[in-house]
Amino acid sequence: MNARHFSSVVQHILTSSSFFKTLIDHEVTVELKNDIQIRGVLKSVDQFLNIKLDNIQVVEELKYPHLSAVKNVFIRGSVVRYVHLPQESVDIQLLEDATRREAANQATKAKQG
Amino acid sequence: MEHLSINDQPPPPPFPQGPGQPGPGMPPPGLLGGGRPPQPQQLPAQMFTTAAQLLDLTDKKLMVALRDGRKLTGILRSWDQFANLVLQQTKERIFVPPGTQSPTQTRGLYADVDRGLFVVRGENVLLMGEIDLDRDDDPPPGYDPADLELVQTLAKQKKAEEKAKEKRKIKKLSTIGFEGENVGEALL
Amino acid sequence: MSFFNFDQSRHNTAAPGFSQAHDPFASLANRDEEAEEIDFEDTYDGLGDQLDETDDAFNDDTFGGDTGEPGPVGKDFDFFGHTAKVANVIEEENVRFNRQQPAAKAPQPVAQPSAYTPIAGPSYNYFAQAPVRPARTGYEKYHEQPIEDLQVDAALWGVAPKKQPPPPAQPAVPSAPSGGRKMLSLEEVEAQMRAQAKAATPSPAPQHQPHQIPHEQAYLYQHQAQNQPQAHFQAGVVEPLYHQPQGHPMTILQRPHSKPPTPAQPSSQPPAIQQHQQPAVPQQPTQILQNPNRLSGDAAKIGLPVHPTPPSGPQSAHQGHRQQGSLPRQPPMILHPAQLAQLSEEEKAAYLEQEAKRAKRNHKIFQMSRDNGIMTPQDKNFITRIQLQQLVAATGNPNEHGTDESLAEDFYYQVHSQIQAGHRQHPSQPLNQFAQTYLFQTGSRQGGMRRHNRGPENHMQRMEQQVQRAVEAAKNKPKNKQLVIEGSLGKISFSNAKTPKPLLNIKRNDSASDVKKAPHPVNGRDKKDELRALELVYTTLMKMEDHERNMPMAPAEDDQEALAKVFAWSNEGQALNEQLWKALRVQDHDQPGRIHPFMALLSYSKGKKAIPRIFRHTNHEQRITIFTRIVVNLDQLDVVREAQVTTDDIQFNAAMRENIELFSAAIVTTLFTFMNELGLDLVAAILGLVCTRNVDVIAKSRIGASMLTMILSRAELIKHNGGGSEQDWRSWDMTYTQFFNILEPTLPYIFPGSIATDQDTYVWQLLAAIGIGASPDQQQRLVIAVKDRVMDTVSLAKTLPPALAADRLQNVNLFMRSIGLDVELLQ
Repeated sequence: MNARHFSSVVQHILTSSSFFKTLIDHEVTVELKNDIQIRGVLKSVDQFLNIKLDNIQVVEELKYPHLSAVKNVFIRGSVVRYVHLPQESVDIQLLEDATRREAANQATKAKQG
Repeated sequence: MEHLSINDQPPPPPFPQGPGQPGPGMPPPGLLGGGRPPQPQQLPAQMFTTAAQLLDLTDKKLMVALRDGRKLTGILRSWDQFANLVLQQTKERIFVPPGTQSPTQTRGLYADVDRGLFVVRGENVLLMGEIDLDRDDDPPPGYDPADLELVQTLAKQKKAEEKAKEKRKIKKLSTIGFEGENVGEALL
Repeated sequence: MSFFNFDQSRHNTAAPGFSQAHDPFASLANRDEEAEEIDFEDTYDGLGDQLDETDDAFNDDTFGGDTGEPGPVGKDFDFFGHTAKVANVIEEENVRFNRQQPAAKAPQPVAQPSAYTPIAGPSYNYFAQAPVRPARTGYEKYHEQPIEDLQVDAALWGVAPKKQPPPPAQPAVPSAPSGGRKMLSLEEVEAQMRAQAKAATPSPAPQHQPHQIPHEQAYLYQHQAQNQPQAHFQAGVVEPLYHQPQGHPMTILQRPHSKPPTPAQPSSQPPAIQQHQQPAVPQQPTQILQNPNRLSGDAAKIGLPVHPTPPSGPQSAHQGHRQQGSLPRQPPMILHPAQLAQLSEEEKAAYLEQEAKRAKRNHKIFQMSRDNGIMTPQDKNFITRIQLQQLVAATGNPNEHGTDESLAEDFYYQVHSQIQAGHRQHPSQPLNQFAQTYLFQTGSRQGGMRRHNRGPENHMQRMEQQVQRAVEAAKNKPKNKQLVIEGSLGKISFSNAKTPKPLLNIKRNDSASDVKKAPHPVNGRDKKDELRALELVYTTLMKMEDHERNMPMAPAEDDQEALAKVFAWSNEGQALNEQLWKALRVQDHDQPGRIHPFMALLSYSKGKKAIPRIFRHTNHEQRITIFTRIVVNLDQLDVVREAQVTTDDIQFNAAMRENIELFSAAIVTTLFTFMNELGLDLVAAILGLVCTRNVDVIAKSRIGASMLTMILSRAELIKHNGGGSEQDWRSWDMTYTQFFNILEPTLPYIFPGSIATDQDTYVWQLLAAIGIGASPDQQQRLVIAVKDRVMDTVSLAKTLPPALAADRLQNVNLFMRSIGLDVELLQ
């Protein structure tokens, strides 16, 4: 599996929302490319990795006055740098196997196509 | 071939078995028949669309942060699958952080500019959030309302400073081989 | 149908009294932005004056209006005898219909009946809507060219149609003609009154409907919610939009607000009090946002004055945005001014402040709400469908759960939710195959995190039981000079939520040299090759797990076809097993100076994690071979070779500690379980193999010591249970003696760190396991070998706090008792 193939596998797992579905209603911290970190309850993720958070709390909120009266946010996927996940809500081995399965799927499809 | 789905009764775990028993090969007894465990509740696919995310923001007063650093507030009236937005009664709020006017300035300043109806192309949106109407009118902590012209002048000055700083930074980084991920674009 | 005989075609929906939402804040309104406001009188066409008002006398009786109402209308009359017989059906149908047809669409103006045919069904919607008449519905643009129904074939989404129960039989009430939305038949009015009279089951008015979900589905949600209360999205779960032709998908997409349905306001209260009350009533906030029954901006511009209307009517306009405020949802309920007087000054001030805040918020909401619904439900629906189409195109049908195809697409979520549902809801429920596969591992792998897990019995639990049995056996023979085995197997602690291993560690400076090194085998090892081999193992394992799920039905005796299927299935399983076996390379020959290829796999954490799964899919002979391979090459393992104890108090680095934990949890546990199936002959053979290796290296590592403890204690258990032939025991004794002689010189050096460390429990366990099977002579030598450590620990214990001291002494005593002594003798 080359790097490109790998990235497409990972992308598939993320964008098919299979992974994020298991994190709905968990608290996550989203770090944006402009360094803002927003913690909140994950409510939804779409196929562009746009993220919706509820009950948000901004890290270093005094630096970001425009967020002071904001309760929930829709964050554009393209500006997200990291999503910090609670470790206990990710089953790494299962995720590894999901990745393997997806890699196998794509390989099969590539052969057929 | 019978196709057992994920919901079918599982066979008893093949391990451990009595000594000498083959692992795979023969079906373990007691596999077939039996009840089905209930299908755990599954989340519907449409929950994972942009539309679903924007749905309950519709007709609400929002704060929209744009990629160029502008902060708009307005009522979201319409949107599409690209998260292009129509904002009504849009106001732009300009912030000047503490220390801009003078090093001793301890509180930030802000002012609003009426902008009217905005159609925002989705790609320019950094984030947007629903405004708590009860906190809406309170100045943000550490900030005071100020005269628009003053705020505009200070903001302009601040922006120029930051641009120059960023430019120096990029220049320095490029000398040691960095191609910044957002070179030339100030994400504010 | 015209109840009051006025000309519907000429009725002006903008006429006062019919169209306006009430604006209680009209006087407060800041109307600056409405510079081009048009005077009402300039545009009013006067049609309202032509209305014949005389027949309106019974409006209030009919519609339950409350202005000037002397008292509640009696509900005990029956205009139509038949109605009584079907009242329940009507009520039910009515509730159902109202849920299908959320308020957003419900009140359609009479004036344009024909325009709504594409969306409007027959209406049983006779709830108090009469006083409200929308000036504009948001559907005007669809009038001239009724849009095609955007219905997508429900099968495309693969959802609920199959679950959908047949719609309830139509009641024996003549349906109102399509589009005749406003006027109610006598039967309907009567039915409604009957329905309302049933206080126990009030049918909530649409405005109070917290969940706009079709009836059957609401039930479904409840049902599901019971099974899975942690799912917060329950109301969004089922998708009526694809099988409810007139349903509003958007309403179900709205997040539910778990507020109980509120019965309609009693209309007998004075309006002023109602106004106080209303804010306390939880409202469905999103509903109004989609309610076309509103004052549109256009309507406002053509000069509709804002008339105060009875508050019980158009609550909609100013109650919608409740969600957008953060005030406490349940302020003190003040129903009467007298109550206010009773409050203390402080409370009064707080109350008034809150009231003011609420009023302010409501005013804001009202001002915003004027243009609500510019984006119609159809628009939202349309975009949602576009996106769903894209999703389907990209990932297949996302709603098709449980099939193999969707499993391939949605593997992580489906198995994850099975596991979660498994332990939270039905600890005793059999899990599906996948959940079991992973749960066994997660149980041992993440025990620390999932301690609450009461899932199926796993290896760890079996091991504990095993130990307990041994302890029981020992307790029954207290005189026996045998060791109390309790705890002798070593506690296998699980790796806890430690700092995650950094996955990316990019060192800019030496990255260039790393890249160059990578392709060449390091120390005779090719990492890439090993990882590739490991992936092959996993791929094969997953195929085997799939294969196991696809087991054919047990065939009848004479069913040749079915027999052939079973045969083919079995053959396929055999082939996969061979493939796995080959991939593991257990039987490759050891090459001097090179780590064995199978052992190389175990140096990776995913290699360690694979062992429990491999043991599920291999036969007994293969398992013995694996066991033997591991024992024979124990001293090659990184967790043995690179984790040698010294007398210094050094801590291994985090990665090594994690490796050791993982090896314990994944491999030692698995081997332990397997070992319990082995007879004494094999146990002796395994110990014999150990003797051919570097016993000192093995014993000086935690993993090695645990393995030795495991082997020795198994032999003791067999002895307790009276197993093993005389010949076996002779052979065991010989092997044991050989082992003891080899190990003896190393014994003083197998303790980790100085006396101060409390990490030496496992060593005492090993010593106990050695002591229990030792001859009196060997016991003597054993005591001599570790005497210093025993004495030092005992004297150290005297300086420690009692709890800590007890722990340390207990460890030592484990060993002491195995040779018939006790620490108390030393004190």
